Amino acid sequence: MKINLKCAEASWRTMSKIFLIMKLTIMLLIVGLAQAGAKSYAQLITLHEKNVSIEKVLLLIEKQSGYHFIYNDNLGILKSTTLNVDVEKQTIGNVLDQCLNGIPVSYKIFKKTIALKETEQIQNEKPVITIQKISGTVTDEKGDALPGVSVTIKGTTTGTVTDAKGTFVLNIEDSKNVLVFTSIGFTTQEVVVGTKTSIKIRMSVSSDALNEVVVIGYGVQKKSDLTGALSSLSAKDFKDQPVTRIDQALQGRVAGVEVVNNSGAPGGDVSIRIRGANSILGDNNPLYVIDGFIGADFNNLNPDDIASIEVLKDASSTAIYGSRGANGVVLITTKRGNSQKQEITFTPIYYNSQVLKKMDLLSASDFATTVNARDAAVGISPTFTQAQIDGFKTNGATNWQDLIFRNAPGEEFKLSLSGGNPKTAYFISGDYLNQDGIVLNSNYKRYAIRSNINSHISDKLGIRLNVAAIRRENLNNNNQGINSPVNQALSWAPTTPVRDALGNYIIHDPLCSIYGNPVALATDQTNILNNSNLNINSGANYHFFKDLSLDVSFGVDYQNIQGEYYSGPSITNNIPGASRTSAELFNLQNTNTLNYSHTFNHVHSLSVTAVFEQQKYTSTSFNANANNLTFYNLGFNNLALSSTQSAGSSYSESALISYLGRINYAYKDKYLLTVSVRRDGSSKFQPTNQESTFPSVGLAWKLSEEPFIKNLRVFDLLKLRGSWGLTGSQAINPYATLSTYLTDAFSAASSFNNNSATSGIVLGNAANPNLKWETTQAQDLGVDMSFFNERLTFTADAYIKNTKDLLLSLPLPAYAGGGNIISNVGKMQNSGIEFNIGGVPVRSGKFTWTSSFNISFQKNIVKNLGSLSSIFTNSITPNAGSGLSTQSEFVIKTGYALGSYWGLKYMGTWKPGEAADAAKFGQKPGDSHYQDLNGDNAINGSDFQIIGNGTPKQTLGWNNTFTYGNFSLNVFVQALLGLKKLDYSYASSITANADAKEATNAGILNRYIPGVNETSNIPAFSTTNIDYFESNRFLENGSFVRLKNINFSYHLPKNTIENVDIKLFVGATNLFTITKYKGFDPESTNSNSGTDVAQSIDMGSYPNSKTFNVGAIFKF
Amino acid sequence: MMALFVLGCQKALKENPKGQVVGSQALSTVEGLNAALTGAYKPLGWTWITGFNTAALAAVLMGSDDLTTHPASNKADLREFDQYHVSNLNGRMVNIWNGCYKSIQGANNIINNYKSTTGDPAAINQIVGEAYYLRAFDYYWLVRLWGNIPLITSEVYDPAVLKVTPSAPAEIYKLIESDLGNAEKLMQDKKLDDGRTSKGAASALLADVYLTEGGWPLNDNSKYALAAAKAKEVIDNKAAYGFDLVSDLNTLWQDTRVGTRTSEEIFAIHNCGTCNWFNSNALYGSSAMPGEENGWDDYFAEIKFFNDFPAGTRKDVTFHTVIKKTDGTAISWQNDAVKHPYYQKFRAPVNGSTDGSSATVQLMRYAHVLLIYAEAQARSGGVNQQAYDCINAIRSRAGLSPLSGLSDSDFITAVISERAWEFAGEYTRWFDITRLQILPQVIANRDPSENAVIGTPQYYIPIPAADLQLNPNLGN
Repeated sequence: MKINLKCAEASWRTMSKIFLIMKLTIMLLIVGLAQAGAKSYAQLITLHEKNVSIEKVLLLIEKQSGYHFIYNDNLGILKSTTLNVDVEKQTIGNVLDQCLNGIPVSYKIFKKTIALKETEQIQNEKPVITIQKISGTVTDEKGDALPGVSVTIKGTTTGTVTDAKGTFVLNIEDSKNVLVFTSIGFTTQEVVVGTKTSIKIRMSVSSDALNEVVVIGYGVQKKSDLTGALSSLSAKDFKDQPVTRIDQALQGRVAGVEVVNNSGAPGGDVSIRIRGANSILGDNNPLYVIDGFIGADFNNLNPDDIASIEVLKDASSTAIYGSRGANGVVLITTKRGNSQKQEITFTPIYYNSQVLKKMDLLSASDFATTVNARDAAVGISPTFTQAQIDGFKTNGATNWQDLIFRNAPGEEFKLSLSGGNPKTAYFISGDYLNQDGIVLNSNYKRYAIRSNINSHISDKLGIRLNVAAIRRENLNNNNQGINSPVNQALSWAPTTPVRDALGNYIIHDPLCSIYGNPVALATDQTNILNNSNLNINSGANYHFFKDLSLDVSFGVDYQNIQGEYYSGPSITNNIPGASRTSAELFNLQNTNTLNYSHTFNHVHSLSVTAVFEQQKYTSTSFNANANNLTFYNLGFNNLALSSTQSAGSSYSESALISYLGRINYAYKDKYLLTVSVRRDGSSKFQPTNQESTFPSVGLAWKLSEEPFIKNLRVFDLLKLRGSWGLTGSQAINPYATLSTYLTDAFSAASSFNNNSATSGIVLGNAANPNLKWETTQAQDLGVDMSFFNERLTFTADAYIKNTKDLLLSLPLPAYAGGGNIISNVGKMQNSGIEFNIGGVPVRSGKFTWTSSFNISFQKNIVKNLGSLSSIFTNSITPNAGSGLSTQSEFVIKTGYALGSYWGLKYMGTWKPGEAADAAKFGQKPGDSHYQDLNGDNAINGSDFQIIGNGTPKQTLGWNNTFTYGNFSLNVFVQALLGLKKLDYSYASSITANADAKEATNAGILNRYIPGVNETSNIPAFSTTNIDYFESNRFLENGSFVRLKNINFSYHLPKNTIENVDIKLFVGATNLFTITKYKGFDPESTNSNSGTDVAQSIDMGSYPNSKTFNVGAIFKF
Repeated sequence: MMALFVLGCQKALKENPKGQVVGSQALSTVEGLNAALTGAYKPLGWTWITGFNTAALAAVLMGSDDLTTHPASNKADLREFDQYHVSNLNGRMVNIWNGCYKSIQGANNIINNYKSTTGDPAAINQIVGEAYYLRAFDYYWLVRLWGNIPLITSEVYDPAVLKVTPSAPAEIYKLIESDLGNAEKLMQDKKLDDGRTSKGAASALLADVYLTEGGWPLNDNSKYALAAAKAKEVIDNKAAYGFDLVSDLNTLWQDTRVGTRTSEEIFAIHNCGTCNWFNSNALYGSSAMPGEENGWDDYFAEIKFFNDFPAGTRKDVTFHTVIKKTDGTAISWQNDAVKHPYYQKFRAPVNGSTDGSSATVQLMRYAHVLLIYAEAQARSGGVNQQAYDCINAIRSRAGLSPLSGLSDSDFITAVISERAWEFAGEYTRWFDITRLQILPQVIANRDPSENAVIGTPQYYIPIPAADLQLNPNLGN
């Protein structure tokens, strides 16, 4: 029933062919599935034919309506009777009544099948000796009766249709005993009858991909008519696994889309890229459009509300979003009510999560022995006595990883209600998710409610109202980086207890880390972010006449973000502080769409869309901070009780005004053309650069409609596509063209006495009033194929995207005041190929295996940086290994890809035979040997070079569903390949560095020890050794293949409980990972999800977890 | 309903930067100018980010014999300075480099734009005078540590700034002298607030600048007379300027958690650790304390320096020699892990917070002025009674006998030693070693157990790699 649902959802604007189907669907909704009188069907048929046979008329009706006629071969009267037809917008019933008037033929309509019978035949059937009577029942996959299935004898038009109970009776000749069962939405089946007199047929739902209607920007289109590269997912694609957020639905399922869970915290940061990163400065996350509302936040969506997701990848699809389309667009359509059937669905799910793995750290006694060995090597007194070391052996010590990681339970309850009457349909859903994080004292809660109502007030006017409210509560999900529980668990000495004799947290690790106690970091600080979102999206659709419609929509998105922060005495040197933040984001959107579609002379099908759209974004915020709390247990709930307070506030607004138009043209459904243009005006730029135009064109050729291909009988579909277009990126924040001061306390307040701070102003980044859009020109070539009755589908795309006028944040030297200036310089290119193969490898009896596989290869190259050869970005972990180097870990360099690591090349340790060479650097064998690029016998900034890249080169996903009767197993494998990770977590645990005085990693036992182990490349304990973090010594292969999801479900037999349909499932996420990466998780990083300049650094990032789930779906 | 949503086209695309301080209008009022001045002080005390209130300050001066660091632990970056083998990647020095230059930018903004400010001329003059002082102070630190450096006097970004070549110290000192002259003229005698500066402070700094100019690298002996005269001017006007020695040395160091405010402070960074971590003092406390007392072992005194230090009140106030371990036992410094004595001055009370305090970082004390006078007078006009009075005031407070009857050169040697002891660990000794070019003797005098020298000792540290990468001309 997918097609019906989709059509109903998208009924307000479309092209002509689709429109007919849609219209029909609406009528079906109104009338219901009962075998209603034909007159009720308001399908509009227009025919102007002279002297044609009835059979020809039926064919024409089939073509216009999508209805299918079946009748016995011996109804020769249909061939022999000719007539003139002259009907304009008549119902099928009326047309048939006219055509069959006066001949002994009657008809019956079942769903989309119309059966014709000779009126007298029922009584006067001629008995034939060779005829056998066969009866049977047809059901769907669940065993429910399927009425209206056409049952025909293969090679004839003889047949019947099943009745309301799904049963049929048919007389067949021995020689022609193969029956063909067809029904819209189901895969056609052929059955050899043999000598059977009764058969049972179970029909399976067909993907029916070719006739599927997909949502495109500002409209819908039949999938087979697309000219652009678009990937479509529907709820059923991810129904077999529990999805708590949309990224889990996208991950690995769409070629060209890379999803990385930067943070494994529940509700944590995720980076989604469609065909790579186009922007250096800007956010490279795609644009999300939920039910037409542009720039929505996907976090504010209950995935259970999703009906379909469309990912627009090439410029022909995305140019319609103009200045914000460059990163690709994810269109999300939420579910609508189904007026045919009232249904209540209740889904409880329980989760349990664990850390993927733990790092191999030194035991307390090994640690103590190692520290003493270092003391001896550098000539200072031993830190531990033998008695203490023996004590650690017997008593053990602190296992910080065990203390901060935990088994984290979670629960989710989803409830949805769908139904309606012929005029109005509703979908109401609620969701409650409560998930603990695997790091102590972290938690995520989500409460969501949605109501989607659509109503046909009249034949011409439809209205809709979608209201969604969601609240997300984050507790300590953002505690990442150096001073986080995860990183400090690797840095605190195992010999240091958690608490002192009085039961207070130990504040300073006397031996190792200079940062906070891991357990205190988890429990003595509170970092709450509560996000409440209300999205109201309303619209009306008016059909002036059949071909012309106007759609007007208004959307409001309101977000209220409350932050509550507290840092307790144990992590603030007994100066506890607290703060509150409050922000309001208020976005308005108005979209007015005029759509005209018509088919001329049956061959030219044209659809024209024109849109005027305006958007406004306003955000305001304020914050209050208190330090040295008088009663620290009051935390952020009483900021007045503190010795110092400060406050801040901000305001920002921007607006966008757009005009756009699109023409879709198809000739004979073979040659397809899409042309679109959008003009955007943005307030972020100065008036001279405010407006820009984004055109696109897409062409497709359905070769499978050509006779020479059709005759091959190989392809269901063979289509070639090509497209070109421009898209943009605003990439800058409001006011970026103005020179503004920094005014916040952190950047600008000074203390002139010892008990207060005075606010001030500091020159901010240099202004550049000449900023303009960044523009991406993209080309795409693609092919779509479908074989064996859609049992095998194949899609391939190749693309090149050239971005010019790159907005770059050029760092200014510290001697000039530092900071950055944003400029339009440079060019960058992304190119790639992507493949998607889907199919049903096995369908045998009750067993079916469906599989889909996608892989993308992508390449990024910086082509030009204006007058500069390389740009160093600000370090994202500015204190990592602090003191030894403050260089950025990344460089943007002409001829190289984004995400290139900038560092020293590690040559291993100086070996015994190299003492003389080492001495030139003031070093000795056992010390770190770095490549001295300029040969000046010193290791410094001139020895930095590109040492690797953090961007994956290939991403792939493989999704399999195995069904056997009522059992179903979903296995989903995902991989990111060809990337290097800079493993700062390992670096900080294997070295003594500015942040940790001793190594804690068990790997240190294999270090270079003079006279004992002189082959090791882990440097010896020495006063002349330097461990630079920015070096390929800490660069690791970050590739991984992961069993992302495995889920097993059992559908209880019908009526195990009366009127309740039950499915039980159990599954696991991230069950195992194949990787060489040393850290907790190759997927998690410290990078911000928006940027691609600096990625794949792992320093105490919140690792992803292994999660088990068990749940059930109840349908009433 | 429609009307509510329709935005109006061109009007809607006009930016409305409410809440932002935009462009040059910011400085049109005295309040705005004053806020910009606060912003110019900020980079000098932006804890952990830039400035003088973390161990970065001890790091860049560690070539000196009053400071050393742990041979292992996590001190590789500090050791580079102690071993005269500093990579341009070193992250400690950028706190000073970046802080001084950001402060210079803030000062340039005031100096170049104050003429458009309307308001009380006296208030404007004071602000501009402080800006001149800050610019001179910043360049003085930069030129002594790095030598040839970019000379930037504009606050506005110009692409040409990316290609600027470094200026020789003589040019930098010219600007410093001129700025301090302006600062003296424009400011009031006394500081408006503890952490700000004044005419008296400008004169004191100018005296120190003259003394330095007399030595390496300018070697302009004529400056010694100017130094003596300027120091004398400050001494003669100490009441007006509000400067004097405190009688008990302890008062300078007793409140390292809450901060001091004494007449001896000429210029100091005042911190407020209870306000924010980024306005706190992280140079004192943990940084200066032994590991046995939960300290960080960042910096402590060299053995020979301690042994040569004359016993008395000052030695007791200066050094921490009995280490009290967390288990309650006490050990002498010879038996602690690193076998070195620690600084008492810079430590914090052991119970309670040991870093991030409100302690005041005293960058120049009135005692400096007295000893500048003593040395400069001996080098220019010859030692006189006032020169003896100056050094003996310091010695008597230190619990030492007064000096008398020395030759000029012996007197100068005595003053140099006195400066080393009086300002042990206080950002003076390294610059004396530099201007007097006595590094070889200082190194020869080290205890053999100190961190070994690597390569040829250098008086200057390298230009930070980040800026060198952006402007290779700095390497010229």
